[in-house]
Amino acid sequence: MSNERTNDRGVVPALARRALNELLRVPGAAVPGILAPTIFMLGLSAVFGNVTALPGFDGLDKYMAFVLPVGLLQGAGFTGAATGVNMARDIEQGWFDRLLLAPVRRPVLLAGIVASAALRTLIPATALICVGLLFGVKFPGFLDLLIVALLVMIVASASACWGAIIALRFRTQQAAPLMQIGSFMAVLFTAAYAPMALLQPWLKAIATVNPVNYVLTGVRQGFIGSVSWADTWPAFVAGAGLLALLATFAIRGMSRTSD
Amino acid sequence: MAAIKASGLERTFKGGIKAVRGIDIEVAEGEIYGFLGPNGAGKTTTVRMLVTLLKPTGGNAVVAGFDVAHDASQVRRRIGVALQEAALDPLMTGRELIILQATLQGMIKAEGRERSAELLERVGLINASDRRVGGYSGGMKRRLDLAMALVHSPSVLFLDEPTTGLDPTSRFAIWDEVDRLRREGTTVFLTTQYLEEADQMADRVGIIADGLIVAEGTPEALKAESGAPHIEVVLDQGSSAEAAERSLAPLGEPIPAGEGHDVAIRLSDSATGVADAVRLLDESGLSVAEIELVRPSLDDVFMEKTGRRLEGAATAADEQ
Amino acid sequence: MILASVALAQRALRVTLRRPQFLAPLLIFPSLLLAVNTGGLSQATSLPGFWEQYGVTAPYPSFFEFQLAAAMSQSLLLGGVATGIAVALELEMGFFDRLVAAPIPRASIVLGRLLAAGAIALVQLSWFVSLSLIFGSGIADGIPGLIEVYLIGAIAGIGFAGIGVTLALRAGNASTVQSIFPLVFVVLFLSSAFFPPNLLTSPADLIAKWNPLSYIANGLRAPIIGASGTSDVLEGFAAAIGLALFFGLLATWSLRVRLQSK
Repeated sequence: MSNERTNDRGVVPALARRALNELLRVPGAAVPGILAPTIFMLGLSAVFGNVTALPGFDGLDKYMAFVLPVGLLQGAGFTGAATGVNMARDIEQGWFDRLLLAPVRRPVLLAGIVASAALRTLIPATALICVGLLFGVKFPGFLDLLIVALLVMIVASASACWGAIIALRFRTQQAAPLMQIGSFMAVLFTAAYAPMALLQPWLKAIATVNPVNYVLTGVRQGFIGSVSWADTWPAFVAGAGLLALLATFAIRGMSRTSD
Repeated sequence: MAAIKASGLERTFKGGIKAVRGIDIEVAEGEIYGFLGPNGAGKTTTVRMLVTLLKPTGGNAVVAGFDVAHDASQVRRRIGVALQEAALDPLMTGRELIILQATLQGMIKAEGRERSAELLERVGLINASDRRVGGYSGGMKRRLDLAMALVHSPSVLFLDEPTTGLDPTSRFAIWDEVDRLRREGTTVFLTTQYLEEADQMADRVGIIADGLIVAEGTPEALKAESGAPHIEVVLDQGSSAEAAERSLAPLGEPIPAGEGHDVAIRLSDSATGVADAVRLLDESGLSVAEIELVRPSLDDVFMEKTGRRLEGAATAADEQ
Repeated sequence: MILASVALAQRALRVTLRRPQFLAPLLIFPSLLLAVNTGGLSQATSLPGFWEQYGVTAPYPSFFEFQLAAAMSQSLLLGGVATGIAVALELEMGFFDRLVAAPIPRASIVLGRLLAAGAIALVQLSWFVSLSLIFGSGIADGIPGLIEVYLIGAIAGIGFAGIGVTLALRAGNASTVQSIFPLVFVVLFLSSAFFPPNLLTSPADLIAKWNPLSYIANGLRAPIIGASGTSDVLEGFAAAIGLALFFGLLATWSLRVRLQSK
């Protein structure tokens, strides 16, 4: 029905804004989201920095440039998981019932929740890139930054859908580790630490079928070299495919809440 | 047309637990229907089905003209719901919450803003409207919840235990508001643990126990059905209780006297009044200090129908 | 005092083992990191000078065997945080007051917790030893090496638990203890747990020299890669014992401060 559609307008921004309230109104709420990937990125660079001497890194001089994209995706993953945790909290406290009682189509409700994760992840992403630049990672160029922003938002959205699936299934914040470990594994079971050629066969096999690996390549290209179409389109296809798949399951979970 | 009509409504949960076992409810437009039941009786399950949060596993229900299972979206557009937990985001202000609710109900922003001012005024929260809800008292939260439920001027309003746990002042504020809704012609489906609340506010009352409606009617009819009134007599010093019981025997059976009075008689004919009792006692030369006609309360009705007392029952935890 | 401590340790242990969701993250998280570290960087052992400082000769162990000690250290550190959270939750829920009110030496409250953490450490270590048997070639130095791993690990586990308990007694709430979680990784990354000290970048290499975790990790590593004969084991013992004593006493003192301030 056509007037149903007009009715949904405004819902996505309104829900996203509500979710961002936490960042704006709770002092320091953004800190953990920034801190975790930053520590990870700096830590990996400090510890494994010298592996760039290995053949396969093609003479890359800064390992941080190689792991900064990993940190960006981790930040996106954790942001999505946090969105899932908040959703579980809303379910526990009854707020979610309020949303379900609204004459709004379920995918629109989900979009509102997911959109907040996509926006929110730009905070750790920006912080992380600034830290990277401070430590001498080369500026990747504005085109790559745009690609990075879009890809990171897609990953955060996909992770938020995963969080929503878990939240709707278990209906408790205690399921938080499941939400976190999902994105954690998806991001790290890739060519996160070293180029594909250096990976052990089992990890290489996983990375080849892991869509996040293609997203990582797309995010990474500008930091370690130059942007190419060949590294860009698979990233968007893989990211969008992953998001579509997880969103489908999340929407299904949402319509099942009244069963 | 009935505002709410449920026929053979059932809900079985996973594991085979039958929370609601086929109930029929019909609430007329503009009526205030009080829904009573002890914890675990199926009260909340019924409400969740009527407001589209839970799919019935049997029977059907039509609310505001639409089927709750097949036209859920249409039902949602026409009903207002204030649920028991009064889930409110503590980080948002009262005004923001009403505007968000307006958006969820499909209203445009200007409309939502206007409506929020109107409703905040109406529920007496205008001075607190720009404060975060985290700092509101329990009563203020319930009033805000009620305002949010009214944002789209619903034709049917569901109030799930709107006053549980509130202090008397806050409770009266909610009652006043419900009374106003009655005058405006809104249909209200009210679940409550407080019999006094149902007695005062509801046009009709339904009592649910073990997933079935066990009694339904106006509070007066239910009380009348529950049995005849009794009289309680306090005698002056020197008058014997046995003598009084003997002289009152024509009116009915004596029942055990409670605290604060000496003799109690269940009247066999409800037409009998205090005057008859006074006359009989006077004829026997017994002098009376106080005499009172006691009609059965909803509590007695409840006791009779469910075998349990309601008031003072555990409050927060209800069935799933 | 000893009896009370053991009784309290048994209780803490029972509660922990009954909630697998408490123990599982301590094992799963480091195991996953172990997998990706090994899968991604196994070629790192071919970097010049990688094995030099460990006193092992060709044929060299694998990067997996090298990383096991890092996973153990990480797991033990997380165990310390978990113990801290458990104590903080007891403080929040009032159970702690009941313990304090009981006619037992106050120190046994802390000691009981630390002993339990030591026992849990043995469970954690066994998990990683099992992994070494399944995916690697086991503990190179055999049973004596295994005993060394268990001893150093259990003592270090007590020390890390001491940090957690101290924090819990100081803060009094679980969320503060939880918030040091990222610090675990800072401590790990600024040690030579994951990589040989001479291959760390500057200034991490300098900090790692002063980080007791470097010595604990190396002490755990030596028996696994067949270098028990080196000073690494002794240094590992020294670091673990020092840590356990220092933070055990600090935790006991924190309890006293907390009770006096009430």
